[in-house]
Amino acid sequence: MENQTFYYDNKIVRNFAYATLFWGVIGMVVGLLLALQFIWPALSFGIPYTTFGRIRPIHTNAVIFAFVGNGMFTGIYYSLQRLCKARMFSDLLSKINFWGWQFIIVCAALTFAFGITTGKEYAELEWPIDILVAVIWLVFGANMIGTIIKRRTQHIYVAIWFYIATFVTITILHVTNSIEIPVTFFKSYPVYAGVQDALVQWWYGHNAVAFFLTTPFLGLMYYFLPKAANRPIYSYRLSIVHFWALIFLYIWAGPHHLLYSALPNWAQSLGVVFSVMLIAPSWGGMVNGLLTLRGAWDRVREDPVLKFMVVAVTAYGMSTFEGPMMSTKTVNAISHFTDWTVGHAHIGALGWNGFLTFAVLYYLLPKMFQTQLYSKKVANMHFWIATLGIIFYAVPLYWGAITQASMWKEFTAAGFLKYPNFLETVTQLRPMYATRALGGGLYIIGILLGVYNLIMTVKAGTFVPEEAASAPALVKRSASREQGEGIHRWLERRPVQFILFALIAILIGGLIEIVPLYLVKTNIPTIASVKPYTPLELQGRDIYVREGCYTCHSQQVRPFRSETERYGEYAKAGEYIYDHPFQWGSKRNGPDLSREGVVNGRQYKPNSWHYNHMLNPQRLNEQSIMPVYKWLISDDLDISTTAKKIRVMQLFGVPYPEGYDKIANDDLMKQARGIAYDLKSQGIQVEPGKEIIAMIAYLQRLGKDVHAAGNPTATISGK
Amino acid sequence: MLHDVYKSVGGFGSYGMISMIIFIVFFALLVLYAISIRKKDAEDFSRMPLDDFSKESDEIQDS
Ligand code: HEC
Repeated sequence: MENQTFYYDNKIVRNFAYATLFWGVIGMVVGLLLALQFIWPALSFGIPYTTFGRIRPIHTNAVIFAFVGNGMFTGIYYSLQRLCKARMFSDLLSKINFWGWQFIIVCAALTFAFGITTGKEYAELEWPIDILVAVIWLVFGANMIGTIIKRRTQHIYVAIWFYIATFVTITILHVTNSIEIPVTFFKSYPVYAGVQDALVQWWYGHNAVAFFLTTPFLGLMYYFLPKAANRPIYSYRLSIVHFWALIFLYIWAGPHHLLYSALPNWAQSLGVVFSVMLIAPSWGGMVNGLLTLRGAWDRVREDPVLKFMVVAVTAYGMSTFEGPMMSTKTVNAISHFTDWTVGHAHIGALGWNGFLTFAVLYYLLPKMFQTQLYSKKVANMHFWIATLGIIFYAVPLYWGAITQASMWKEFTAAGFLKYPNFLETVTQLRPMYATRALGGGLYIIGILLGVYNLIMTVKAGTFVPEEAASAPALVKRSASREQGEGIHRWLERRPVQFILFALIAILIGGLIEIVPLYLVKTNIPTIASVKPYTPLELQGRDIYVREGCYTCHSQQVRPFRSETERYGEYAKAGEYIYDHPFQWGSKRNGPDLSREGVVNGRQYKPNSWHYNHMLNPQRLNEQSIMPVYKWLISDDLDISTTAKKIRVMQLFGVPYPEGYDKIANDDLMKQARGIAYDLKSQGIQVEPGKEIIAMIAYLQRLGKDVHAAGNPTATISGK
Repeated sequence: MLHDVYKSVGGFGSYGMISMIIFIVFFALLVLYAISIRKKDAEDFSRMPLDDFSKESDEIQDS
């Protein structure tokens, strides 16, 4: 068979590699700023654009979608061409993928800083950008599938299976979770409310971890690890089991983010069982990776690329053991809402994704520039400093989490909460937060060394934008299975069928989990006293979303005595039915707010307190780490959107009377004047048209309806 | 016994049971299939990333 000559497109790989480094540094520096704000809240600088709630989404999105995302594209564009023995399907699509993705990142950073957000973690982008993401993602998919179809190899390798699963699943997750109705160009409401929104969001959130941070990187592991070690992958059989079991199982596990919540019990339990089972395929993958190195361990000591890979795969093993553990109800009761989750996420992000990304960059940049890595010594320094950074990052957070959870749950002999003041449990953690920031700082120093090393490497080499290669053309074979050909062998040369099978594998779990919540009405029992928000409260709620208060506050009281004593009635599914989006939050750096407005409740505060608190939390509590929100006091509330918002809510079935949109602003002003009047009686002069009034109205509404129902405070389990 | 384990998880019910069975059957078939794969196929496959016909891999091969 005659050999065909063709050229690998290295330019696109290089561009993605540069973008990875650039966004990596930015994303992590923002992370460091967040860490420092927990020590010095003044570092939010008293302006909206740099407050915790707004830059936390910048950090998470930059690190996930910009750093890891570009890193993933770097590795995929490099390995896919080589595994298919073909140039990328279309240079134009490659370019659109690259520039489109960078444009999205810039839009994301700007919109988040301006408070344009949907308020759903890791899916904060507003609808126009969501659409853009979908388009660019499809461009990537088309380019990838096109390349696979015009490949010169008979079979597609396991790395590509993982890339396919990534593409298919992320498409479905992103689209399902982003179904929203626009109110303006910059504001939308998700069609889901409350419990449904929570389930869809964490089905998405969990599987974004699975299919954006895990599967593509497993694909990279399956290609770059054998390559760097120059050893065949340990077991093909194991990789088949690993792949199918992993993609099948992962999709079921989302509800483990919502244990002890108002989510129906069956869904929680499904999440627990499938999460625990996930250990098996995850560790199968880790074992397959590590055993590939058998007989090459002497090289690991020498070669920075392998060193980074070994730690990455080990971190993967650690976090995939820890994750299932945190999904059991016993551990979750302690770990949830604490910084344990943050520690867990960073073992994965810094260890698995960060180290594997750098391993890949250290491997492929010298290759594409026909040179050696500039300095092994600097790479080793990067390795050790970053490893130390991870330890300094995670250990204090685990320590802090256990400390804080114990303080939340501790009772005195007389049966009262030992630490009724939430802030005490935060102040206790300050040394841990400082050490965490140090860990993050070390990791960034490591990254900077890496960037320096790679820049010097690139400078010393000569770039090969078009790398020549040759291979015989693909021989056409029968579409059906040939004699003696295994099913999977057949599937590996039929990419379209492969995609279909992968789709079915992920859809089974997805459907079983999501569909019953739509069909079974009894899953969300209604509570008669729960009424829609007034227009002013609705506007206030949107400010709450805009400012990202959910990044520190939960709105979800779990059924433990320690929580009902501290906050009040535990959460019911029926109380959230008008919440588009839900705002349960995932961690508590401040107290839960869902019972804030219950008059005579444990947390109740007068309007004037809220006013002074938002103006300057540190004046009320010197130790508070909550940012200053003084612009809420000076900025006018935009009421031009009220009518439109009411109409969108009506579209969702929120029972505002017909034609209410036309008079909503009258009600809004009436309620606002009432609050302004009350503040005036406390000696605070503020016009009713200011944002703070809406925010106070919303905070004072929280929990009122449930308590109006006269539910006795009950607990399900101990403390 | 398995049933007791599920019961202790709470609210798992027959719905969860069916889900588990679907997975276990799927997993069992997968493992059985993997065991039945021919040795030669498995070996060819494992080597796939190493054989990419470009200049660079020739250099690595003899390292
Ligand atoms: C960086 C984390 C953080 C962010 C972001 C944050 N808070 Fe807080 N919040 C705290 C902490 C810590 C406390 C407890 C200390 C205090 O009262 O200041 C608190 C307390 C509160 C309280 C008093 C709760 C009680 O019952 O004692 C309210 C109300 C509140 N925050 C509202 C908000 C709102 C509204 C936003 C968004 C505009 C917000 N917070 C953003 C950390 C945060």
